[in-house]
Amino acid sequence: MDQLNPREQQEFSQIVERKQMKDFMRLYSSLVERCFSDCVNDFTSERMTSKETDCVSKCSEKFLKHSERIGQRFQEMNTKLMQNGGKL
Amino acid sequence: MSFLGLGGKPSGAAGAISRSKIESAETEIDTVADLFNRLIESCHKKCIQGYQEGDLSKQEGLCLDRCVYKYFEVNAKVGELMQSMGQQQFQNR
Repeated sequence: MDQLNPREQQEFSQIVERKQMKDFMRLYSSLVERCFSDCVNDFTSERMTSKETDCVSKCSEKFLKHSERIGQRFQEMNTKLMQNGGKL
Repeated sequence: MSFLGLGGKPSGAAGAISRSKIESAETEIDTVADLFNRLIESCHKKCIQGYQEGDLSKQEGLCLDRCVYKYFEVNAKVGELMQSMGQQQFQNR
């Protein structure tokens, strides 16, 4: 990826930016879906119960910590793979 | 100014834009992002036990660490197997 010339790099970083935006929207909608299906099960009222609200906020918080932790390990594994030439 | 440099004149100083080079760089980050997203999905299913707490429990965290490692191991293993399958098929021709 480092053999791109400056103009290519510029274009590439625009592509990456668009991808990041898309990825963020995808993250958002998948988090809504996840926490909705894991936390909301009671349809006797249209109001969310306090239990459901509490669950949703913990679900979101936990998911962000989850992806952060995976991100750290992922980074470590990638570095390791690069140092060992593709071997674990 | 042309959109994304398409149809732009190749400039001397900064060099011309090679579409295929940009595309392969794009494929590279797509592949990495795809792997990452699959990891998130799989390891969440395997390790997250509930939402009593907003923090990861010790057990969940440990599970996630191992999950990532094992996912990479499976990735490598399947890669090896597919490669040898491919070679066999090639030899049987």
